[in-house]
Amino acid sequence: MQEVRQKELVNGEVWYQPGDEVPNVPTKLFALQNLCTDCKMCEIACSLIHSPDGMLNPVWTRIKIDHAPQVSRVSKDGFGFMPALCHHCANPPPCAEVCPTDAFYYDPKTQAAVIDQDKCIQCMECVPGCPFDTVFVAPTGELLKCDLCGGDPVCVKACSTRPEMLNKGKQYSRLPVLFYEDKAAFGKILRQKPEARDEVGLMQAMLSKGKVSSAA
Amino acid sequence: MESGLLRVDLSTGEIKREILPHSMFERWVGGSGINDWLLWEHFLKHDITCDARSPDNVLIFGVGPLAGVGSGIGVKGRLTFKSPCYGSFGDSTGGGKFPYIVRFSGYDYIVVTGKAPRPVYIHICNSEVTICDAAHLWGKDSTQTHEALKKELGDYPSEAYTLSIGQAGENQVGIAGVISDGWRIHARCGGGAVMGSKNLKAIVTQGTQGIKIDNPAGLLEWSDDFRQKLDANEAAYGFKRRGTLGAVEMYQKIGGNFWRNNQGAMFRGDEVNSDNWVKKYHKYSEVCSSDCYIACDGRYKIEGHESDKAQKYIGESFRHPEYLTTGSSAGALDVRDWAEVAHWGKITNEYGIDNQDLSCSISFLMELKQRDIISDRDVEELFGKPQSLEWGNMEDIEALVEDVVYQKNPFGWLFRDGAYHGALRYSEQKGQNFMKYAMYGKGGASFTEEMRAFPTWMNNMAVASRGADHLKGIGLIEKFQRRDLSKAYFNGRTEAADPTIPDLKGASSAVLENQVALLNSYGVCLFHWLLDPLSFAPESYYGEVYAAVTGIDRTKEERMLDGERICNLEKAFNSRIGMRREHDTICERWMHEPCPEGPYKGRVAGDMFEQVLDEYYEWRGWDKDTGLQTRKKMEELGLEDVADVLAADNAMAGESRSSRAVHVKVNVSDVGIPD
Repeated sequence: MQEVRQKELVNGEVWYQPGDEVPNVPTKLFALQNLCTDCKMCEIACSLIHSPDGMLNPVWTRIKIDHAPQVSRVSKDGFGFMPALCHHCANPPPCAEVCPTDAFYYDPKTQAAVIDQDKCIQCMECVPGCPFDTVFVAPTGELLKCDLCGGDPVCVKACSTRPEMLNKGKQYSRLPVLFYEDKAAFGKILRQKPEARDEVGLMQAMLSKGKVSSAA
Repeated sequence: MESGLLRVDLSTGEIKREILPHSMFERWVGGSGINDWLLWEHFLKHDITCDARSPDNVLIFGVGPLAGVGSGIGVKGRLTFKSPCYGSFGDSTGGGKFPYIVRFSGYDYIVVTGKAPRPVYIHICNSEVTICDAAHLWGKDSTQTHEALKKELGDYPSEAYTLSIGQAGENQVGIAGVISDGWRIHARCGGGAVMGSKNLKAIVTQGTQGIKIDNPAGLLEWSDDFRQKLDANEAAYGFKRRGTLGAVEMYQKIGGNFWRNNQGAMFRGDEVNSDNWVKKYHKYSEVCSSDCYIACDGRYKIEGHESDKAQKYIGESFRHPEYLTTGSSAGALDVRDWAEVAHWGKITNEYGIDNQDLSCSISFLMELKQRDIISDRDVEELFGKPQSLEWGNMEDIEALVEDVVYQKNPFGWLFRDGAYHGALRYSEQKGQNFMKYAMYGKGGASFTEEMRAFPTWMNNMAVASRGADHLKGIGLIEKFQRRDLSKAYFNGRTEAADPTIPDLKGASSAVLENQVALLNSYGVCLFHWLLDPLSFAPESYYGEVYAAVTGIDRTKEERMLDGERICNLEKAFNSRIGMRREHDTICERWMHEPCPEGPYKGRVAGDMFEQVLDEYYEWRGWDKDTGLQTRKKMEELGLEDVADVLAADNAMAGESRSSRAVHVKVNVSDVGIPD
């Protein structure tokens, strides 16, 4: 029998319990695979606003570019890249579930699962606890995870293949890598370009090891 | 703003860490400016006339303050050294992720001196520096070296990125380049030979240390604004899609290509144009240098159906060929198939050799053969076997590349320092003057673009500090006939935009050299600025972000002076070696033969050459007779210390102390040809 958990949060909010109606999360951070150019703009932008003391250091980033999962990491021609980003998993997120001090809470504004650094004892349980490997450790031992920048993710703005570039270039239309969109809008985007799938929602795309999509 | 400077003496194994103070950035901006100063300082203590392949030479790597900070204008690293092939000042630029990651390793500048007793590589990881044995890497090409080092060093604390040489560098071929991340080449001036002469196979960095940003909020704000400007810029899309290949068509229109050793100014055949490239070749993904919004590079694989010749290269993967790869193969050597052009780019990068100097060496011999100036017997003597020397025959060309890289035969030995020295040595050997067919500019550096019709461009080829070159001064005002740009740079005057008259051409050359020196010193890519230097990314715009990152806020005039100071330091280096006005020249064909075709058919560079050069010296404030710098100018730029050194070396205008004649050493007889 599942234990019914009711976690007190710093800001008074609660984890939702199984069976509860989850409030509609308006927007979510998505990434498309294969279109990433490995320019590291998202990493740099993220670390720029999150690094302490006016320093810029990619180890403070909460998003990390990796080789696309459908291409072998050791492949010489690692053609595809993919930003590894927090999916802000549904209630409760796996990283929070393994946390012994209940340091995670939902930000009421963005519904992002974030870490309360005062409660965190830096036991690092959440690092392997995250199925997507998106909880990172700073040089100070501080645990880092995406906080959606309070509702305006800087990585989405910085992405060198971002939405604004979609329509203005007349002969050059393509999709951005990063989206901060509601699910319906993202579904529509996927229908336009079905080979570019959300990593989480559509795992089957990863299994089709065929051709990598053309970015041109 | 402060930066880490690493000094490695390979002879003694001594490793020193220094801090470059804020004042260094105030004087030399960063990147190439600071590199130039480090080179200057080195040769105050060492003999400047030393053999560039000796342990006395120095290899300096540097990256400017704007690289990798999220500004989105690209990252460019710079190598500076005394050039083994041209014998003068030498530097070259390259992108990739090496210059990005090196910033987080704790050192922005790396100075390598001496010579290791056996092949080594330098591993820099978070301020810790190790000199490691590279016996297992020796003989590998640049891509294999990169892959091997990545595997060896793993992904902790960060991914490893490399700066390495291929076989050409190992064999100290004068025109060997240095390759960043196994693909992006610092091609010009022979940095590979300098690394090879030091037994240094590679430099590898990993790093997770931070960079101090003076005003992070200001940087973010600037970056946001830059993105919006980029979104509104149509040219950026073309650039994203085609990279520099768009220049093929542009040059076909204005007659700016270099065909068959510049016997023509247009490419022949329908295949090699940017449309065919974009449509036929499958781009698997775009790949950037780090920190760039444009991503003009891409990864490709030949599938075999693209063209007839593509069958030969099925499965070959490579990056986007850029214009000069195309110009050196489809142009200089008349290769008419994209698959072969891409293959040419791939092999020259893997061997690590400059395809400009290499292609002009090959096309020189091809023209001699075409004109029956040399016989089949002469050819057999050169190559040790019969060789077709047919235009566009890729199998043969590939064999010739190998000959130079491994210096297998007399051809390889003669042409290891490029077309000029090769032609000179061959002329001497045969007792016949072939120099008419050698294509080169200052210092004997070759360049595969037509310039007879473009006076600024022509002048750049004659005065660029590192030898005939496209990235020291830019000819965009006249080539695009940009009257608006001319007005902006020259107080409303429009003459600079008209390539048919000599007026303001020397001036454009000087002003744009200052401008480009400044941008190179920021550590960013030139192409964002080139998209439109006026409205899109004017230089002042870069000044703003430089101020946000370093805290050094300059006025427009001060910035241009900074650029001029850097140019003058490079010039001073060459003056010390003995370069004078007579060295600021271009080859006979460019100078005296009329342009054979295109809209500017019949134009001869010699008609305007002296006039433009005079004007250039005037704008530079240098002495017109000798081409030397004047004390007045040097004092204006705050370069009194440099002026003193020049005066002591008898290399300052009007301050001749003795009649000691100094000349650039171009010693032909010291080249050993194996029996």
